[in-house]
This record gives sequence, C-alpha cells and structure tokens, in this order.
Amino acid sequence: WKKDEFRNCNQTPFCKRARARKPSSSSLIAQDVAIFDGELTAKLFPEKTQENPDEQDQDRIKPLVLSLSVYQDGILRLKIDEDPKLDPPKKRFEVPDVILPEFSNKKLWLQKLSTETIGGDAGPSSIVYLLDGYEAVLRHDPFEVYVREKGGNRVISLNSHGLLDFEQLRVKRDGEEWEERFKGHTDRRPHGPQSISFDVSFYEADHVYGIPERATSFALKPTRGPGIEDSEPYRLFNLDVFEYLHESPFGLYGSIPLMISHGKSRGTSGFFWLNAAEMQIDVLGSGWDAESGISLPSSQSRIDTLWMSEAGIVDAFFFVGPGPKDVVRQYTSVTGTPAMPQLFALAYHQCRWNYRDEEDVEQVDSKFDEHDIPYDVLWLDIEHTDGKRYLTWDRMLFPHPEEMQRKLAAKGRHMVTIVDPHIKRDDSYFLHKEATEKRYYVRDATGKDYDGWCWSGSSSYLDVLRPEVRSWWAEKFSLENYVGSTPSLYIWNDMNEPSVFNGPEVTMPRDALHQEDAEHRELHNAYGYYFHMATADGLVKRGDGRDRPFVLSRAVFAGSQRYGAVWTGDNTAEWDHLRVSVPMILTLGLTGISFSGADVGGFFGNPEPELLVRWYQLGAYYPFFRAHAHHDTKRREPWLFGDRNTERIREAIHIRYMLLPYFYTLFREANTSGVPVVRPLWMEFPSEEATFSNDEAFMIGSSLLVQGIYTEHARHASVYLPGKESWYEVKTGVAYKGGRTHKLDVNEESVPAFQRAGTIIPRKDRFRRSSTQMVNDPYTLVIALNSSQAAEGELYVDDGRSFEFQQGAYIHRRFVFSDGKLTSLNLAPPSPGQAQFSSECVIERIILQGLTTGQKSALIEPENQKAEIEKGPLLLHSRRGPTVITIRKPNVRIVDDWVIKLL
Amino acid sequence: SPENQFLGISPEDEKYYKSSEVIKCKDGSKKFSRAQLNDDFCDCPDGTDEPGTSACPGGKFYCRNVGHTPLLVFSSRVNDGICDCCDGSDEYDGKVKCPNTCWEAGKVARDKLKKKIATYQEGVAVRKQEVEQAKVAMAKDEAELSKLQNEEKILKKLVEQLKERKEQIEKAEEKERLQKEKEEQERKEAEEKANLEKTKVEEEVEHDRNEVVENSDGEHKPTESTYEDKIGILEDSHSYQDTAENHDDLAAKDDHIDTPEHKGSLVEGVEQHAVKQKEESVAISETDSDSGSKVPPDEGKDASEKTESLSREELGRLVASRWTGEDASREGGDVDNAKDNDHEDHVEAPKDTHGGEYDGYASESDDDNQQYDDEDVEADDDFGEVDHGDSDSSYKYESDTDSDLSDVTTSTSWLEKIQKTVLNLLQAVNVFQTPVNRSEAASVRKEYDESSAKLSKIHSRISSLTQKLKHDFGPNKEFYSFYDRCFESKQNKYVYKVCPYKQASQVEGHSTTRLGSWEKFEDSYQVMVFANGDKCWNGPDRSLKVRLKCGLKNEVADVDEPSRCEYVALLSTPALCLEEKLQELQHKFELLNKEQPQGHDEL
Repeated sequence: WKKDEFRNCNQTPFCKRARARKPSSSSLIAQDVAIFDGELTAKLFPEKTQENPDEQDQDRIKPLVLSLSVYQDGILRLKIDEDPKLDPPKKRFEVPDVILPEFSNKKLWLQKLSTETIGGDAGPSSIVYLLDGYEAVLRHDPFEVYVREKGGNRVISLNSHGLLDFEQLRVKRDGEEWEERFKGHTDRRPHGPQSISFDVSFYEADHVYGIPERATSFALKPTRGPGIEDSEPYRLFNLDVFEYLHESPFGLYGSIPLMISHGKSRGTSGFFWLNAAEMQIDVLGSGWDAESGISLPSSQSRIDTLWMSEAGIVDAFFFVGPGPKDVVRQYTSVTGTPAMPQLFALAYHQCRWNYRDEEDVEQVDSKFDEHDIPYDVLWLDIEHTDGKRYLTWDRMLFPHPEEMQRKLAAKGRHMVTIVDPHIKRDDSYFLHKEATEKRYYVRDATGKDYDGWCWSGSSSYLDVLRPEVRSWWAEKFSLENYVGSTPSLYIWNDMNEPSVFNGPEVTMPRDALHQEDAEHRELHNAYGYYFHMATADGLVKRGDGRDRPFVLSRAVFAGSQRYGAVWTGDNTAEWDHLRVSVPMILTLGLTGISFSGADVGGFFGNPEPELLVRWYQLGAYYPFFRAHAHHDTKRREPWLFGDRNTERIREAIHIRYMLLPYFYTLFREANTSGVPVVRPLWMEFPSEEATFSNDEAFMIGSSLLVQGIYTEHARHASVYLPGKESWYEVKTGVAYKGGRTHKLDVNEESVPAFQRAGTIIPRKDRFRRSSTQMVNDPYTLVIALNSSQAAEGELYVDDGRSFEFQQGAYIHRRFVFSDGKLTSLNLAPPSPGQAQFSSECVIERIILQGLTTGQKSALIEPENQKAEIEKGPLLLHSRRGPTVITIRKPNVRIVDDWVIKLL
Repeated sequence: SPENQFLGISPEDEKYYKSSEVIKCKDGSKKFSRAQLNDDFCDCPDGTDEPGTSACPGGKFYCRNVGHTPLLVFSSRVNDGICDCCDGSDEYDGKVKCPNTCWEAGKVARDKLKKKIATYQEGVAVRKQEVEQAKVAMAKDEAELSKLQNEEKILKKLVEQLKERKEQIEKAEEKERLQKEKEEQERKEAEEKANLEKTKVEEEVEHDRNEVVENSDGEHKPTESTYEDKIGILEDSHSYQDTAENHDDLAAKDDHIDTPEHKGSLVEGVEQHAVKQKEESVAISETDSDSGSKVPPDEGKDASEKTESLSREELGRLVASRWTGEDASREGGDVDNAKDNDHEDHVEAPKDTHGGEYDGYASESDDDNQQYDDEDVEADDDFGEVDHGDSDSSYKYESDTDSDLSDVTTSTSWLEKIQKTVLNLLQAVNVFQTPVNRSEAASVRKEYDESSAKLSKIHSRISSLTQKLKHDFGPNKEFYSFYDRCFESKQNKYVYKVCPYKQASQVEGHSTTRLGSWEKFEDSYQVMVFANGDKCWNGPDRSLKVRLKCGLKNEVADVDEPSRCEYVALLSTPALCLEEKLQELQHKFELLNKEQPQGHDEL
C-alpha cells in the first residue's frame, strides 16, 4: 500500500468541489414535463437562467434533458444529460454493452401522469405508476425524484438535499487552466470539468451495502457526519493496488456502482448509477444535514449518500425491493444474471506464480493423487509465456503444452493460462503486429498508440471498447490461433484495470483515447469488463457455442457476472485478510457477482500452517475456490505441512467436493434469479436485526450457514444462528436452537457449519481425483427436519459443460419431506422436442436429522420396494464421526418421480 | 457391485472376511453381514465392508497385478474410468476397458530392479572400502591432533622460555643503551661547554627541523579528508536509486575504506577486504532492494516524490519490481528474464573467507604471512588417494587453506631439534654478560620468531582438525571423505558447487551466489541441508537440500528450485548403498520372480 501514489478526494478536484457543496445549492427546476414515447420527459432549468437571460452565453447554464422510464418488476430509470439540440461541444459518454439488450423489452409504456401538490410545496409534482403499491414522483421545484409507496412513505429519493451538480461541457475561457497534475503525470483534460454529483437517500434503512470493490466491513460505515472520524469517501476506480490493506474505503480492482439499503421495517431497496468514470461515494452519518434547514419526512429513518463522478451522464436505476432477493433480481434484470459455469469450475483450483515447467506441473499433479486430494484445475501464471507475449509458450519450459494438457485431461482435469491485456510492443509478435496495423490500440492524448509499461515491458493496450476489436480478440482463442492450446484450456485475465506500471496511479492516463473520441476517464472502470467480455466470447467461439467459457477476471464492472468468475486480487497471508475476504465476497454477491473468491492462503507472504488450514476450511465455501501464492513465497501445496495438516486440508477440499451438487444447484439459481450463492444472513432472515452487520458468518444458499475462524489458536467461537428453527452442525450432527448466539468449542479440524432445520441438501459423498469422475456417482440426501417434521430442498443437474441446459436439457427436482414421506417433484418444465438430459444417478443414502419417530424401514413407491432404516455415519470421510438415522440404499434415480414412505 | 465378492481384498486379508458370516469393521465401530460385503454401500467408515468398490472414501482396493507387483489403490480410483491397476481390476463396471499390462510392466520393473540391485551390490562394496578408508583417515587425523596437542604443549613452553630470555636480553640491551646514552650525554655536555659560541647556528637548525615536523603533520591531514570524501561518495551511492554498483567500483571503494583500518599491513588488508566485501555486498543488496521499491522504509516520502523525476520506463520497471522483486534499474533485455536472475550481479566476490569455520584462517594474519604462504600446501595430500577414480564431478575443496604442516607433522625430529637448539641457546647465552653478545641475542630472537610461528601454525592446524572432527560423519563415518570435497553439476548456464560440511553455491560466469552454508544431515543421513545462503529480495535466504541416493560415483544432478530460492539437488554416492537396503531389494526381486511364471500361466 503506497498511499502517496494514489489520489485522495482532496487531490481530486471534482471530488473536492462536490464534497464542499452545501445542501440546497442546486437550483434546478423541472419544466416541460410530459409523457413522450412511453416515458416521462422534462427539462431541468437553473433558476437563474430565467432571472438573468442576458448572462454571457458561454457561462449560461443550458437546460438539461431528463427522462424517467419504468420497467417491469419495480425498476425506475432516470436519465439526465445535456440537450443534444443545444449543440454541446461533445457528446457525453454513455456506457454501452452493459444493459442487457432484452431489458428494453421490460419497459412499461407510460400512458399518463398525474399531478399533485405535495405538503407545503408551492409547485406541483408529477406522479407515474411504478409497480403495484409503488409510484415514482418527479417534484418540479425544487427538483427531486423519488419512489414512494402508495401510502406516501418514501423508499429512495434523489436530490432531496439539493446537491445535484451537473458540470456542462463548454468552451475554455481565456486564461483558464484545465490540466491536472499528479505525481509527475499530466492529465490534459481537453474537455474541462464535466463531473456530476447528487445526493441519494434510502428510507427506513438501517445499513447500506454494496459499491465494491474494497476491503472493508460489509455494512458500509458512514464517511462523514457529526461524531464520525473524517474518512475518504468510498472510491470506485479500478486500480492495481500493491499490498492492499485489510481495512480501507479505498477502491480496488473493481467498481460496481450499486448500493443496497436494508432495514428491519421496510426491507430492501437499491440504487444503481450506470457510469464508468471515477466515482466517489460518501455515506453520510445521521445529523450531517442538521444545519441545512431541509426537512424530509421525519417519521422515516434515512441514510443519505452523496454520489460524485468525474464524467458521463446520469443513468440511474431505482430498485424497490422490497426483499433482498427482489433487489438482486431487479438489478440483474438490468445487467444480467451470473453465467452458468461448468461444473469443474466450481471444484478446487490449484494455482501459483509460477508452476515453472512441464515437470513441475507433472509433479504437482501426481502429488495430489499420491495424497488422494482431489483438484480440477492447474493454473499457469505469466512465466509460462514467451517473454510475456500472451497466447505463446516459453518453449524451453513448456515444450509440449498440448501433451501436458492432454495428460491432465486424461484425469478429468483442466488447465488455465493467464492472458493479460497489455500487448508487448515487439514487431515480431503477431498480436502486436496485427493490432498496430489494424489500429486496434488505445491512443494517447496526441493520437499515437498509447505505450505503457507492464509485465511485458513497453506495451500497448487493445481498445476493447470497440466491438470489432473485441471480436478480433475473441478469434485469437481458437485452437488454431492459440498454438499449444487444447479444448481443456481456459483463461485468466489479470491486470485488466488496466494496470500500467508507469501510468498515473498505476493505470492508464485519463486523457488516453478510445474509439473515436471517448476519453479513458469516461470508461476507465469498464475497461477490464470489456476485455473480460471479449475473452469469454473467444472461448465460446472456440467451442462453437457448445462449451461454457471459464474466464477469471480481476477487474470488475456492473455486468461482469455474465462473463465469468472474479477474485479479490493480491491479498496477504494474514488473519485479517482471511476475515475481510468474507465481506468482500458477500458484497460482490450482493451486487451480482456470484462467482467470486479470495486467494486461499493469501497471495503475499507465507501463512503459518494454522492460517493456511483455516483458509482452506473457509475457502472451501467460497463460490470460487482457488489457492494461489506469490512467487517469492514458500511452496504451500496441501501436503507440505505435515500429515495432520495435510489431512485437514484434504478434508476441507473433500467437503467442497461433497457439496458440489448443492453448489451447482445454487449456481443455477443465481443464473436464473441473480440471487447469489453466498449470501449475507439477512438475505435469508431479513427481519433479524442481529444479522444486519454480521460479516463473519454467511449463508451458502438458504440451507447452510458457515462461520469462519479468524484468529490464531481459537478454542471458542460465538455464532449467531438466526430464525426460530434449529440448526444441525454439519460435522457433529449436534442440533442448536435458532435465534440466539452460541458459544461453541472449536478445534483445528474444521470451521463451524450448520444446516438449517427444514432443508434438504444434496451431496455426493464419494470423491474422486476430480469432479469429472464423480458424474456417475450416487447421491446422498441430508434432510434436517424442522419442528413440524418437514423439510425441502432442490437439486439441479445438467451435463455440466454445454449450453444445452438453455434448451431445457437438465434435471431439476424438488425434494419435499412431510407427513413421514419424502417426495421427489419435477421442477423442470416439460420441453417437448427440445434437448434432453438424463442421468442414471441414484440416491444411495438418505440421512434424516431431527426425526422424532422410530421407523425401521421405508417403502419406495411406485416400485413398492423396501429399504432399511438404520444408524449410519453422518460423514463418510470422517472417522469416528457421529451416526445418524439413515435410509440405506433406496437407490431411486434422480430423474424419476418417487415417494419414500417411512413405515 | 463386483461379481467377485472378495474383490479388492489382499490374500492375507481373505481369512478375515471369510471366517464368519458377520464381519466386524476393523475400527470396531460396527458389524456387517457377508451380504453387505462389497455391496456398494459404505457401512464402515473405515471402509472394511467395501474393499472392492468406491463406496467408502477411506478404503483401499487391492490389485493382485499378477506378473507385476500387487498394489493398494485408494477406493476413489475404483470405477472412476481411469486404469490404475496393471491388471485392470479396478475398472469393472464396463465403462472403460483396461488391458492387462502387468506382464510388460512387470518385466520393465524387474529389469529396473535388477539394475538397481547390481548398482547396490557394487555400491555396497565400494562403500565398505570407503568406510575402511574413512576409519583410517579419521584415526590418522585424530592421531595427528593428539600429537599436535602434545607438541603444542611442549612448544608453548619453549616459546615462553625463549620469550623470557628474549625479554631478559632486551632488558639488558636497554640497560646498555641507557648507559650508552648517559655516557653520550655527558660527552655532549662537555662538548657544548666547549662550543658555546656556535649557539646561534644551532638554533637555526633546530627551527628548520620543527618546520619539517609540522609539514609532515600537514601532509597527513589531506589523506584523511580524502578518505572521508570517499565515504561520502559511498553513502551517496546508497541513496542513489538507479544502478547497482559494479563490482570493481565497489572493490575500489572498499580499498579506500580499508586503508586507514589496516594501516598498511598488506596481508591483513586482504583479509579484511574479503570480509568487508561480504558485508558490503550485503549492504549493496539491501540498497538495491530499496532501489527496487524506490521507497526505503525510513524515507518513503522523499523517494515516492522522486518518482516524478524518473523516465517513464524507469517508473514502469520500478512499479513492476514491487511484485517481482527484481532489480528495477536493469536496462534492456526482457523484464521477464531479469525476474530469475535478480541480483546475482553483485554477489560476485567469493565469500569463502567469511563465517565461523574460517576463523583459523583469519587468525593466521601474522606478520610473517608471506613466509607462511610459501609453506602452504594443498590440504591433505593423503586424501587424494582415497577418492581416486570417481572424481568426475567432485574435487577437493579449494578454498580450504588449512596448512598441511606436513613438514612439522611428518618428522618427529623437528621438535627435538628445536628443543635442543633452545636448550643450547638458553644455556649458552649469558644474560648477565655485558655487553650482550649480539650474535647470541640475534639467535634467540630468530629462534623465538620461528618457534612462535610454528606454534601458531600448530594452533591453526589443531583448530581446523578440531573443527573437522566435531562434525557428524554418519554412523559409519561414511561421509568422512566428503569433508574435503566438492561436487559440481553444470545445468544450463549455471554451475552448482556442493561442498559438504562447508557450503554450496551457484556459479554463473564470474558471479557466485551462495546457496547456503552447511547445516546438517536430515532424514537419517538421506538429506544434506545447506542454509542461510545469500538473501533473496522479498524472499527467504537461499537454501539447498541435497537428497542422497545410492550410486557408484559421487555425482550431483537434478538441481532444481521448486520454491523461490529454495533449491534441491540429488547426489548419488556409494555412501548410501546400504547392505540392508540391498537385501530388501533382493527380497523384493525374489517375490517378483516367484509370481512371474504363475502370472504368465494365467495370461
């Protein structure tokens, strides 16, 4: 962490200006309000324009155009931009290719607006329908937009404190200085000030969450206000931060300008500003506006926030909720739900900077087998390339890459190689040659191909904003073009913030040019997103549309979930970094990025064996489970820390493999609904205040609660178990009452995890070398009965690799236990004529926890076969584990409808 | 479930499963019926009931592998679609067909084993011989040591006597001198009285002389200030963050630093230079590390401001170096290449002379070093004969400059001679004789100088022998000959030198990187550990582990760096060709051969 290297708000003129503004300084008034093209449209006039019509033309603030549109499911969209009819010097940048094309189909065609004079207002407000029970309100004077419940309670509002500032593009005045300098870098800022800021209020919110990526608590602490230690605002600016701190409002590799509020009484709402320029957001502590004289409905508690961006337009989305899952669904209906990964991608990944050569790869691979530890993917970092020329191989170290991959593939394993966006400026390098000839690079402010420094030395960066560049890039991943690749090879995009070692703040200068005349400042936060998109598209093309891509990205923007997994970058082997990985992953999940994880073990430094083991035990529950390490660290493959620790790590990895059917089902849920795989407790228990700021425990789906252990030599852990039902500890089978905090004894063998009573979790208790060999293995159903002796759960299965599931080729079952019988119901809609998926897999074991009756056998219908009920082990891999009531060998197929009655 | 109910069970275990209808789980947790054996459902968490299926994750599957070696594989391998047993018995669900390859694989394995046995047989003999030689050599060293200790005692006494006599002589001489001076003074005073008139002239002469003295003082000062300037330059260079100093510059600076310290003693100067240089290169490495991050911990602010003055390329390299730890100042070439070689540039100087083992050597810096060097002979000629014939990759430890002392150790007469001479001298020289007999005094001095030189040689030989004998040479002293040898292996551009009990290094051209100093044997004499080598930036100190295996020659191979700056290597040596291991291998071979014909029949 090099604090001096990065700008703080005071060193960032637009941020400093915006933060200094006082409430009510906005003087905008909405006029010409009308319904046009199914939207509400209006113009925003500054008050003084009318008062002083003779003001000098160049200083005059021109009216802005505004539109309010409404989409299905309670989504309000507000756009504010300069009026193109008034000839602004340049069109302001709108972020393309983030909003799903099909989102426009969800637009509700507004027919009418009603007018109302609210409270003590002098002027009217215009009101439109939003969703049953919800309305959108445009207050004309002073200008304000908000969402309210029919009864009048506000949900979210914008500009309630009159902080909206929209710096219009204009001609430079004589003697005016637009350049900005920082640490020897000059930003020419040829278009001058163009920032936008405004305040947003969330009503009846206890906490706000979201706006990744940073290492800090899950519930966002206020950054300003009475009694609050002055803090930087939360910064959204994608940066490659060397040795980042475990607690800082400072932005890291990704930016998702989505904030979600949650409160006990009203529930959840969300606000998303589609803008890819640098953004800074203040969370304002209660009472910050005491001096302002502004009165908002005082019966409603509120969290105010200030949003500031360097450029772009206002394109903001209000999500009404009211449940946490509703907001996520609403948001992902705009930016897309997470892609369905291949099954192998959910298994364990082994990475290190660097597995040096083919021999090293073979060694590591065989050691996993020797120790009977499963893994699915082996990763190669930058050193595998020929001098950091991506899509090439160092032929000294990797003379036979195809053969190496085939050897792994023979064990059902995959390989991932790194491909970064900086292209070595070497005339003999095919990528550089082509990109130069085709003029596909980002240009510097003078129009020359931008030349920055990264791993490959002097490098240029593809202008991935342009669709034709992305499509050219995607072609490079075909098996013919990527020499040495095979179908089992997948890709890792690192450094795509982009990281530029000799650029300002270790990134690209803001005045670099994309496309025709888009400045880097306008799209910086989305650069990595476009690169990720192009790479993922490349893998789809490679597989002829039949193989789901896997691309891990470090940089993130709204919508990244559609293209692959992300990880939290270069963390450190410290307990605090283990702890902060949970709020970081929860935040990513809440903002659409379900498939995320932190480097297990910590990238920098050497973890003590205990920390490494704890990291595996927690990491086994990350949606993306990969161990990784810096090249200066000691080797830390799972078998290097003595037999006991090898055993512990093996068990942690086994737990992941055992739960793969459950994880895969949850990834499908995320794929259809946006609801993340790993969830904050309050997503499942929205009215339990005790969970609102808990970021040490988390839910996997709705059935499993995991509590990490974040301290050395821990012998006890306090765990809050929400809800009224009991929880069954996964390893011991011990039941704990819900709705209270338990002080548990812990040991080094595992971290506490609990199955919620009333749920059914599908598992595969046999493990193999890799997930590939588990395909035909039988299932175990673990039923935890609630107080009414009932439970339910789901299982989703498909071929694990192709896109045929999109045509209905999948199995989706709901298992319901009630009245002493377990029923398997089909959730997949009938799909005549479409692709089919079948499976011979059976359920070999059904575990019943919390059963109060004492049946000895079960009858399987419709076959009318009997199965024995007896005591059996809760976990097969743990010796001397507890025994539980087990239905032995029912051997019912997962594709079939059946009922198992306890007799 | 498998057709054969007893699949996956080893012959020794069959009785356990066949003896009754109700079988106990081996961990005692429960019982299961014969019908539950291999019924593809895990009843015993330890896997007792499912030796032939994948149902119990904790279990093992036994392949008979007739024609080859029986094998226990993890239950997770059963019916996983991958052939693990050469007889294909682990894949029986029909999803994959595994051909029986045991006969071919078994033949290959037997041939390999045969070769290994042959190596062992020969190796055991060589080892025996070496162990004998080691015993002899060690006994010789021990004998020499005890003899030297004895001689030391006697010689010490003689030297003391000579010293006493020398001092007596000196005292007498001093007395004589004073007497002479007194006489001279008296004579002078008489003369002065006679020459009072010439006083003026005398005074002028005196005055000139004072001036001369002053001038010489004045000359001394500029020398010192030059030295301080040089220090200044060096300190500046620490804060320069651009280039690593090249070695020659460094050496030059070292000389300047050293000059005032060793006050013109050439020999000591060289010694100190070597030590100093080590320290210097450490210091420079650290400086480089700082220049890597450009932010020395104590002056972070200054340095980060300085980045503004860097060229764009320098800045790029600098920021990259945070992650890589490489030298940011490196010009040209691929950045990636630099990643591996980091800062081997400035560790050129051999650092052999540093460290506790060489104390004896360092203490040899007597004034008569020149003469001493003449007597210096390559250490321990007699060991040369022990390791004849197999020294392809091994050689004697060159930098071990223990003096042979063969002249003093081989003949017993020298001590008697000295004793006699001294006795004669002591008796002959009459201390109380005045004036002192000049030639006799000279003899005493000469004899004293020579004897004390001999004594110091004996000291250092004793100390080096003691050092040597302190080491652990293995249960049969089979590693005794390793003490004075180094093994070399050339790999790509590097030459790796492994000197047991001393140090290991990686040499590239003229640059040497210390991989570590001798630490110990590990893993019951199967691994040699060298630790605390040159530091890696942002990483650990370099270290090397050498795994030993039986071989006919002492040869280092397969040097590797699996973890950054943690090296491993393989050394084949007859020392590891153990009789027990040979018997084990022979037994294994017999078993293999026993199965062979039967296996062939089954095919």
